[in-house]
Amino acid sequence: MPLLYPLVLASALFGIGLYGVLARRNAVMMLLGVELMLNAVNLNLVAFDAWFADVVHSGQVLTLFTITLAAAEIGLGLAIILALFRALRTVDVDEVGR
Amino acid sequence: MTLTEIVFLVFAVIAVGSALLSMTSGQLVHAALWLVVTLGAVAGCFVLMTAEFVAWVQVLVYVGSVVVLVIFALMLTRQPSGARSAEVTGNRWVAAVLGAAAAIGLGATMVAGFGGEQIEGRRIGTAGSIGDALFNDWVLPFEILSGVLLAALIGAIVISRSGSDR
Amino acid sequence: MSRRWIYVALTAALATAASIWAVPRLDEPGWFAYVGQGGAGDGPPLPSLSPDLFLYPVSAQVVLLAVGVGLLVQIYSTAYLGHHPRYRSYALIIILFLVGMIAVVGTTNLWVLLVGWEVMGLCSYLLIGHEWQTAEARAGAAKAFLVTRVADLGLLLAILVIGETYGTYDIVGAQIASSQDGVASSTAIGLLVLVAVVGKSAQFPLQTWLPDAMPGPTPITALIHAATMVAAGVYLAARLFPFYADSTVVLTAMAVVAGITMLMGALFALVQTDLKRALAWSTVSQLAFMFAAIAAGDPEAGTDHLISHGVFKALLFLGCGCLMHAVGSSALAAMGGLRRSMPATFWTMSIGFAALAGVIPTVGFFTKDSVLHAIEQSAGEDGGLATGTTYVLLGVALVTSFVTAAYATRLWLRAFFGPVPDGRQEHHGHEAPRAMIGPLVVLAVATFALSIGQPFHLGIGVVGTVIAAGGIAVVVWSWRGGSTLEWTTRPLTAELGLDRPFTSWAPAFARGVSRTVVDLDRDGVDVYPRAGAGVAGLTSRALELVQTRNVQRYATVIAVGVLVLVVAAVIWT
Repeated sequence: MPLLYPLVLASALFGIGLYGVLARRNAVMMLLGVELMLNAVNLNLVAFDAWFADVVHSGQVLTLFTITLAAAEIGLGLAIILALFRALRTVDVDEVGR
Repeated sequence: MTLTEIVFLVFAVIAVGSALLSMTSGQLVHAALWLVVTLGAVAGCFVLMTAEFVAWVQVLVYVGSVVVLVIFALMLTRQPSGARSAEVTGNRWVAAVLGAAAAIGLGATMVAGFGGEQIEGRRIGTAGSIGDALFNDWVLPFEILSGVLLAALIGAIVISRSGSDR
Repeated sequence: MSRRWIYVALTAALATAASIWAVPRLDEPGWFAYVGQGGAGDGPPLPSLSPDLFLYPVSAQVVLLAVGVGLLVQIYSTAYLGHHPRYRSYALIIILFLVGMIAVVGTTNLWVLLVGWEVMGLCSYLLIGHEWQTAEARAGAAKAFLVTRVADLGLLLAILVIGETYGTYDIVGAQIASSQDGVASSTAIGLLVLVAVVGKSAQFPLQTWLPDAMPGPTPITALIHAATMVAAGVYLAARLFPFYADSTVVLTAMAVVAGITMLMGALFALVQTDLKRALAWSTVSQLAFMFAAIAAGDPEAGTDHLISHGVFKALLFLGCGCLMHAVGSSALAAMGGLRRSMPATFWTMSIGFAALAGVIPTVGFFTKDSVLHAIEQSAGEDGGLATGTTYVLLGVALVTSFVTAAYATRLWLRAFFGPVPDGRQEHHGHEAPRAMIGPLVVLAVATFALSIGQPFHLGIGVVGTVIAAGGIAVVVWSWRGGSTLEWTTRPLTAELGLDRPFTSWAPAFARGVSRTVVDLDRDGVDVYPRAGAGVAGLTSRALELVQTRNVQRYATVIAVGVLVLVVAAVIWT
C-alpha cells in the first residue's frame, strides 16, 4: 500500500480540523476540531511506523500516548467549558470575548 | 491495486466526508455523531496499516468515551438559542482558506517527500508486540503519562466543582 | 512700664557703643578720601562676610544720626505705642533695623552692605505691616517690599559688576584699584546703583511705595521712612560716587530723576489733605534734593543735607505723631487751632517746618544752600553734567524751594492756626506725654545746633532766602485773604496717576506674561508629552484590533503566522 494514502488522508483531516477550530462558534466544536487534528497526527504516526517497520513500535506507542493525552485534554477542556458556561451562560466564543 | 488499498481508500473517503459534515453541520449532536464516523473510519485505516491494537484503543477511547463526553458536554451547555450556537463565525472564510492551505501544503510536502514509498506491513502491531514495546522500552513515558492523566483528572474535577460552588 | 524701658535701654546701649565708635571718627580729615593701607587686591577676592568695619567721618555722622533718631524714636514709642499688644516685636525690630543700618554705613565689604541693606528692607516691611489687621497696612507693606526688592536687584548686580571690574568686593580695595588702574565700567555700575537707590529712596519712577508706607506707626515713619533707610540710598549713591563720577550718562540720568522727583514730590505735598502723606511726599522731594547734589558732582552736600533732613524730618514726623495722638487722625481737616492746646508740639514743629522751608538759621537752610551752591558751581565744569542740564536742574531746585516753603507754611497754618474743625471743642487736643515731647525738643535743638559750622554761600543764600520767603509770603497772604489752603487740583491730588503703572499696568503685564507662559507651556512644551500620549493612544488602538479577547482570532493569527513561516522556510531553503 502506498505510504501516500494515509499521509494525504492525514493532511486532509488536519485541514478540516483546522477549519473547525477557527470557524466554529461553539467552544465544544472547537474541541472537536482539535480532536480531528490530533487524529490526523495519529494517522501519520501509524503510517510511518508501519512503513519503517520499527522494532520498538515507536509510532504506535506514541499514538497510544497521543490518544491518552487527547482524552486528558478533552476532559480538561470540557471542564473548562462547563465552568465557562456556568459563569456566562454561554459557550459562544464570540460572546465570551465581549 | 490490492483489496487493501481499495478498502483503505473507501475508509479514507468516509473519513474525509464525515469530517467535513461534522465540521459544517448546523446541529451540534449531528456534528458529534459525524465525528464518531470519522474516528471509526480512521480506526479502520489503522487496522489496514497493521496497527490493530491502536485501532481498538481508538475505538474504545475515542469513539467510546471521548465522544460520549462531548455529547454530554453539548447537552449540558445547551443554550436557549439552540441551533444558533452551531453557526460558524465571521472568521469562516479565513478559516477555510487557512484549512485548505494547510491541507494542500501538508499534502504537497508529503507527496514531494514520500511519493512512491510502500508500506510493507512486516511488523504487525498486535496487542502482544505493542505491550512488549510499551513495557520494555516505553515504561518511563508511560508512567509519566499516567501522572499527567491523574493531574488532568484532578484538574477537571476541581474546575467543575469550583464552578458549581459559585 | 519697666518692661518697655528694657528696649529703650537696649537701644541706648547700642547707641552708646556706636557713638563711642563713631564720635572719634568725626574729626578725621577728608570725606571718603582715606583708603587705608595696602594696595589693590588686599580685599577679599571672593564674596566674604567678614565685617570689614570702617567709619569715615560722614559714615560716623550717618551712624550717629541713625542711632540718635533710633533712640529718640524708641523713647517716643514707649508712650506712643507702649500699650500695643505687639510692642515687643516692634521694639526689637527697631533694634534690628539699627544694626542693619550700622552694617550698611559702617562696612567696606559690599556683601555685608547688601545684607544690611536687605535687613533694612525686611524691617521696613515688617514695621509698615505692624498693624497687619488693616488691609491698608498689608498692601502698603507688600508694595514697599516688592518695589524695593526690584530695586535691590540693581544693587546686587552693581556689586557683581564692581567685583568683576576691580577684582574685589571691598569698597576700599576697589577704590584703590580704580585710583591705580583707572575707573572702568562706570556707566554700568552707576546705572545699576541708580536703580538701587531710586527704589530704596523712593525716587521717580519708583516713588509710589513711600506714601503708601504711611499706615506704619508714625515713629517708624520718622525713623525709617524719613531719617535713615530712605536716606541710605543717598548714602550709598555718595559712597559709590567715585565709581561712576566720570560717567556723564549716569550723572545726567540722576539729575533728571532728581529734578522730576523733587518738583513732583513738592507739588504733591502741596495738595495733600493728610498731614502724614504730605510729609511723605516732602521726604521724597527732599531726597531728590540730595540726589541733585550728587548728580552735580558734590556728594558731600548731599550727605550734609541727608543729616540735616534726617533731623528735621524726624522732628516733623514725631510731631505729626503727637498731633495724631491728640486728635486721632492724620487728616488736616481734623486739625486746626492746635497752637494753644499743644504749645510744645507747636513750637518744636514750627522749628521743623522752618527748617523744611529753609528759613535761616535752621540747619535746613544751610544744607539746602549747600546743595543749591553745588548745583550752581557745577555749571561749566568739565566731566560732569552739561551746562544746560545744570541750569535746568538749578531752576527746578529753586522752584522746588519755593513750593517747599509754600507747602511747609500751608501745613503749619492748617495744623496749628485757623478755626477749630466743626464738632470739636475749642480746646480739643491735649499735649502729648513727656516721653513724646522730649524727643521733639531734642530734635528741635539739634535743628539749630547742627547749623554751627555749616558753610554759607552769600549769593545763592540770598536768592534761596528770597525764594523761600516768597513761598511763605504767598501762602500767608492767601491765608490772610481767607483761603482755606485747600487746593484740590485734580491731576495733582490724584498724584498724576503715577500709581497706575504699579496698580494696574504691572499686574496686567504680569498677567499677560503669565498667560503667554501658560499658552507656551500648553501649546509649545506640552506638545511633546501630548504627542507621545497621542502616539501611544493610536498604537494601543491599533493593537486593540489584535487584542480582541476572542480566542479564535488569536488562533487564526497563530495559524497564519505558522503558515507564513513554513512557506517562507520552504521558499528560502
